[in-house]
Amino acid sequence: MSTLRYAYYPGCASQEITKEANSTTRKVAGILGIELHDMPGANCCGAGLLTDYDRDLYLALNARIFAQAERMKMDIMTICSTCLMVMRSANHELRDRKVLERINRILSEAGLSYSGRVEIKHLLWVLVEDYGLESLRKKVKKPLTWLKIAPFYGCHTLRPSEVLGRDDPQNPSSLESIIKVLGGEVTEYRDKTKCCGFQVDLVSEDTAFEMTGRRLLSAKKNGGDCIVTPCPFCHINLDNYQEFAEKKVSQNIGMPVFHLAQIVGLSLGMSAEDLGLSRHLVSPEGIIR
Amino acid sequence: MKIRFKIRRCDPSSREGCEPYIQAYNVEVSEGMTVLEALIKIADEDDPTLAFRRSCRSAICGSCAMNINGFPKLACNTQVIPEYRKRGEIFIEPLANHTVIRDLIVDLTPFWKKMEKITPYLIPREEGSIRVTKEDEREIDRVQRCIMCASCNSVCSTLEVDRQFIGPSALAKSWRFVGDVREGGSKRRLERLSEEHGLWDCVRCVHCTEFCPKGVEPLRAIERLRCRAMEEGIVDNEGAKHVDAMVDSVRRVGRLDEAAMTFRTLGFLRSLGMIPFGIKMEIHGKMPHPIIFPKIEGIDEVKHIYRAREREKEKKD
Repeated sequence: MSTLRYAYYPGCASQEITKEANSTTRKVAGILGIELHDMPGANCCGAGLLTDYDRDLYLALNARIFAQAERMKMDIMTICSTCLMVMRSANHELRDRKVLERINRILSEAGLSYSGRVEIKHLLWVLVEDYGLESLRKKVKKPLTWLKIAPFYGCHTLRPSEVLGRDDPQNPSSLESIIKVLGGEVTEYRDKTKCCGFQVDLVSEDTAFEMTGRRLLSAKKNGGDCIVTPCPFCHINLDNYQEFAEKKVSQNIGMPVFHLAQIVGLSLGMSAEDLGLSRHLVSPEGIIR
Repeated sequence: MKIRFKIRRCDPSSREGCEPYIQAYNVEVSEGMTVLEALIKIADEDDPTLAFRRSCRSAICGSCAMNINGFPKLACNTQVIPEYRKRGEIFIEPLANHTVIRDLIVDLTPFWKKMEKITPYLIPREEGSIRVTKEDEREIDRVQRCIMCASCNSVCSTLEVDRQFIGPSALAKSWRFVGDVREGGSKRRLERLSEEHGLWDCVRCVHCTEFCPKGVEPLRAIERLRCRAMEEGIVDNEGAKHVDAMVDSVRRVGRLDEAAMTFRTLGFLRSLGMIPFGIKMEIHGKMPHPIIFPKIEGIDEVKHIYRAREREKEKKD
């Protein structure tokens, strides 16, 4: 297998509030031999907020990110579901020649252009498809046999499936397949493809935290020891704001939540410190070995 | 082939009240048979008490939306065998987010009330006749496909926890009028929709767009309503402030400045209330600090893009 190389787009959240997802991903990639190339000039994708302001501004700013990857001659890998959905939606729209021409006119004012040929992937897809589950299985040093892990997809790795297209939005399997390869037991529950509420944290917090609480309870009631999510925004709600969610649903939950890279790292033998676990508000240190 | 149908039922006239239970039926299914045809067969041959809504059988009337294997679909538009092959079973339930009247029939009164609330008819402009171009028509083309089956409302994440939320169907219908060049009451409509439980309460879970059987894309309509509300200067609400803070943050530093966004969205007083939790976040190294210096490389390109868009918009006005 030739070396996998990606233009690495961690997303804004994982450069600040969920830094541990970023640092762990870099270490995991190092162990697996996946090359991640930084994009210091990459701007924010708009996180689904610029689409509420000006569609062409959103498309042009995303095209600027893609143009950088194009100059690097690499596809983009992100560790954020929302970045994935936003960038893939923009890229999908830019496949229309007329739209691409219109957006390139805007880009030309900044001395840039984009051809429309970059692919955008999530770490989740890179592990399952590009790196491969069998290769991953060979790297596992510490199978997670003692852990019941509830996969939480959230929204933006699945929907809209027209632009995401990797998993069946009604019956996804990529997270489950990774959990199994790492030796963990999958906890099945209905809420795994539902919304954590993040987008309205600041707009309508009652709605947001009620949603967060229901997802956590659903995972817990079905026997999960912990949750794993490919999305830093889901992590913010499920972990950082778990105490607010507990208040909203009037129950103690105490459910540790891992980033995808962290459970991979754990099975590769990385330490709690390397995984940045002290940064979590609900400590997972009691359930790791 | 024989396929086992599991159906969630309830009967309000029974002594136990409307306590739901699962009943199974074995149905002889032929190639191409739809879920609706199978249900009609069950009612005809096996159990005439099974209640469900249906009318046109060709995905136009919107009567037979129900949850098939966990997600809303039109029974008349879903073939049994492919669905069975995909999921290994056929499990039918009434639409979620609605009160069940009996078996697969839900009470759609809240759905129609929300629809009424948005004034679902054109309020013509005062200046009389106006020329409608093909492009104008295209703006509202998708939302006109709605057949009011309530699938979107039944999977709406916000409606699941907030029954007062106006919901994706009524929002898509709102765009039908706000996006119509002949409409004269857009601003008033947008002001009303910007209130609590309105267009800014959508969590962008994309359920509505994913599961609409007619490709209406309610989320896209919500985005358009939000853009239009901001253009109209209806920005004195947390949703619009949040977007505004993002627009400003990306222009300034090229990325999301979480501290500034929280502050600008919540305002000074509500931000003060966040301090005790902020201290806890700080202990775990999670407190976002305002970004003062670290701009992305090539921030000038971002600024050029913003200015180019502003010039285009000015020209259009």
